[in-house]
Amino acid sequence: MSTSPRERPFLDPAVVARLSTLELKARTIVEGFLSGLHRSPFKGFSVEFAEYRQYMPGDDLSTIDWKVYARSDRHYIKKFEEETNLDCHIMLDVSGSMGYGSREMTKHEYGACLAASLGYLMTRQRDAVGLTAFDERIVAMVPASARPGHLRALLVALDRLPLGRETNLAKPLHQLAESLSKRGMVVLISDLLDDPDRVIRGLKHFQFRGTDVVVFHLLDPDEIDFPFERATRFEDLETSEEVTAVPPVVRPHYLAAMKGLIDRYKRDLGACGIDYHLLSTAEPLEMALLAYLSTRARAL
Amino acid sequence: MIAFLSPLFLAGALAAAIPIVLHLFRREPDARVKFAAVSLLRRAPVEHATRRRVQQLLLLALRVSALLLLALAFARPLLTSGAVSASSGVTVVALDTSLSLSAPGQFARAQQLGRDAIRRAPAGDLVGVVTFADAAEVAAAPAADRALATSAVDAASAGVGATRYRAALDAAAGMLEGRRASIVVVTDLQRSGWNEGDRASLPESVRLELADVGEPPPNLAVTSVRASPDRIVATVRNAGPEPRDARVRLDVDGRAAGEAAATIGPHQSAEVTLGGARGASAAVSVEDREGIQADNVRYAVLDNARLPAILVVTASGDLSREGFYVRHALTAAGADGAAYQVEGVGAAQLSTWAPARIDRYPVVIVLSTSGLERGGRALLGAHARQGGGVLLAAGPGVDPGVAADALAGAISIAMPAAADRERDRALAPADARHPVLRRFGPGTLGLVTFRRIATVHGAACSPLARFTTGEAALVECAIGGDAEALRESGGRALVIASDLDNAWNDFPLHTAFVPFLHEAVRYLAGERTRAQEYLVGGVPPDVPGRPGVAERMPSAGGGAPSLVAVNVDPAESDSARLTADEFQAAVTRVDDVTRGEAAVGLREQEDRQHLWQYLIVMMIAMLVLESFVGARTA
Repeated sequence: MSTSPRERPFLDPAVVARLSTLELKARTIVEGFLSGLHRSPFKGFSVEFAEYRQYMPGDDLSTIDWKVYARSDRHYIKKFEEETNLDCHIMLDVSGSMGYGSREMTKHEYGACLAASLGYLMTRQRDAVGLTAFDERIVAMVPASARPGHLRALLVALDRLPLGRETNLAKPLHQLAESLSKRGMVVLISDLLDDPDRVIRGLKHFQFRGTDVVVFHLLDPDEIDFPFERATRFEDLETSEEVTAVPPVVRPHYLAAMKGLIDRYKRDLGACGIDYHLLSTAEPLEMALLAYLSTRARAL
Repeated sequence: MIAFLSPLFLAGALAAAIPIVLHLFRREPDARVKFAAVSLLRRAPVEHATRRRVQQLLLLALRVSALLLLALAFARPLLTSGAVSASSGVTVVALDTSLSLSAPGQFARAQQLGRDAIRRAPAGDLVGVVTFADAAEVAAAPAADRALATSAVDAASAGVGATRYRAALDAAAGMLEGRRASIVVVTDLQRSGWNEGDRASLPESVRLELADVGEPPPNLAVTSVRASPDRIVATVRNAGPEPRDARVRLDVDGRAAGEAAATIGPHQSAEVTLGGARGASAAVSVEDREGIQADNVRYAVLDNARLPAILVVTASGDLSREGFYVRHALTAAGADGAAYQVEGVGAAQLSTWAPARIDRYPVVIVLSTSGLERGGRALLGAHARQGGGVLLAAGPGVDPGVAADALAGAISIAMPAAADRERDRALAPADARHPVLRRFGPGTLGLVTFRRIATVHGAACSPLARFTTGEAALVECAIGGDAEALRESGGRALVIASDLDNAWNDFPLHTAFVPFLHEAVRYLAGERTRAQEYLVGGVPPDVPGRPGVAERMPSAGGGAPSLVAVNVDPAESDSARLTADEFQAAVTRVDDVTRGEAAVGLREQEDRQHLWQYLIVMMIAMLVLESFVGARTA
């Protein structure tokens, strides 16, 4: 009897936060997640043979299955799992604003954990996985690869990522889009606290290059609900600018602005075929994995 | 000027420091949150730090103001019309200008001591000056300008009056008006300044200092002259440490009539007999160029006197039923063997009398005002103003308003309320030298028990005796307004603050009652009995207050002018001195009645103004405003 992923209990981020290493976190999340996915509909999950396809001009000659040719006198190429899977690039925002966290995990920690889990999952699926960390520029980059041991390098890189400075999403997005030579998939993990126009333009660049994009808009629950009550001096994590506000007074305006931002991303990104997922750091990470797999299935 | 009924509450204003201290040292910083989406807040109407600081300062000011207003309200402020408030201190310099200070060098030293006292007065104190001899005069009212006080001291001069410390202290005490005070008495500490039994009363809080001018120089004085048909006997006193040869000279009617010599031992007196004198007046003098000059001569008149008739006003006029004790006391023979003729009249009947009819009676004793109509009151007032004497017993038969009207408004009387508890008290002379009281030894009047009393006071009245509870018992009032009026008209009244009919006290049952009434009547009738010798401090208005022989016109009717002799008080020639402790011991410390009266006056004034109510309203407004601003600041 199968259990729907939404019905099974996911790991609370608070529990995940208490796990010691990023690798352990990723494994715990993904294995737990996968154990609930009986009869997974997703392809490319096995390392075994996947399918045969008739040879098409342009295919690598080395992939022709000569045994089949001997039996059928037709050229078929054999597709293995690792060949049919994606080049997946995880783009993780490490700007200063990602350092905010009202719960056990900051957005930065949550994002790193999500990236690690995705990397772990991708590796299990034999997808090539790469990592690009950025703030206003690219601060770390691990090229996509499906080789054994690559996951460890990815996790070590994630573990060592420091918080950066101001956000400028557009520049790294354009840089990565230009550097991709092969169609694949880009996963953006960011709080998207930047100019929406520039962000959307950068993401469209990937679309233009034929790359599927999934965006995890990562926000803290406090950023979504703005639950402050006392007069508070808010200091910008990136610019150190201070704004003193009386939350009950400014809350309606803030929530309207936040809703406008989310709606804008949801609307504009959806319009150009980019998957957008709003993710609260209070939500289980498995939700993000489900969203990723959904997008991946469409990409294949 | 602002004064406060309860200034101690002003200390509560210190509570205003609490919000300031909390604001400065214990203020809770704003919650500070490092936040990511500050860019979204910028679009909201945020509260800027500067504006918030202004709001906080406004809140602080409102809270501090509220506390200050509360403390002010509790202190019960009032606006006083006077130049000074009761909270400032006062120093009064009482400068002795009596005859004994006229000895060479003495008064200059006294002036220097007075100036020093003015200079030493505490900073911020008002300073006033009183000069005193037989009577005291305010030479400079209390003022912040000390130059005025110094000028008053410089302008003063020694006179021919006798030393009367009580007059000085009474006058000085009258200038205190309930303030924190010091009285500095500049005097030669002459013992005669306090008579036996003489007591001055000062509020307990008043500080009394003495500035001793020093011992007077050796002095010869003629202290008395007794005339008989065949000779004149003069008493000469040597107030010096060495024996003196005195040459005594007699003048009769301005012509030399004889001389005599005597050797007088140190601090001794000697009688010198001079030849027979035929004439109207005599002057006996002694040569003394070193000491006091004014006591070197003494004057005498040779003549006789007579006794007056007394009118007693009661409700019905029937002295067999009313005024029983008074009638019997006056008809008894006095110490001089004379008895008065006493007549009674009903108060209502008196109102119908013609003015000339009451002139027959030099003294009117009022025991009741029941039925005393306007005509009767006017008659009594006119009688007193024209030199008649009035003795008023403020007992149960007297209506305060009617009595005050009858005495031309010179006195204010308040009767005890019916619900007032009876309380035993005795009577003590405040001025034992006064003619009415001087014959009574210490404690004689103290045996009388007064159970109920009236409260009597007046601007032109001075207390001669007080009850042991501090209230005035016997006051003498100048009818006509003030001392000047008294000098001009001779009208005077004695008011005893209880009855004379054994109702509120047992006075009539005591042996002192008869001599008291005789002395009182003798004193009040003095104008009409035509005494022949006065001391300079006790002359009637129509007799000059300087030593010598003067002619005196009869006050009513016709007749030839009579002669009166005016002499300096022989006690001034007595060089015996008091110690400072003896002086202080003669001053009775009483409850701070004047301060209480001043406080009552201030309270009445405050009751009329009710400033505290406005302050409370302002405080509530401040708190409402504070709530409004505070809610906005959250």
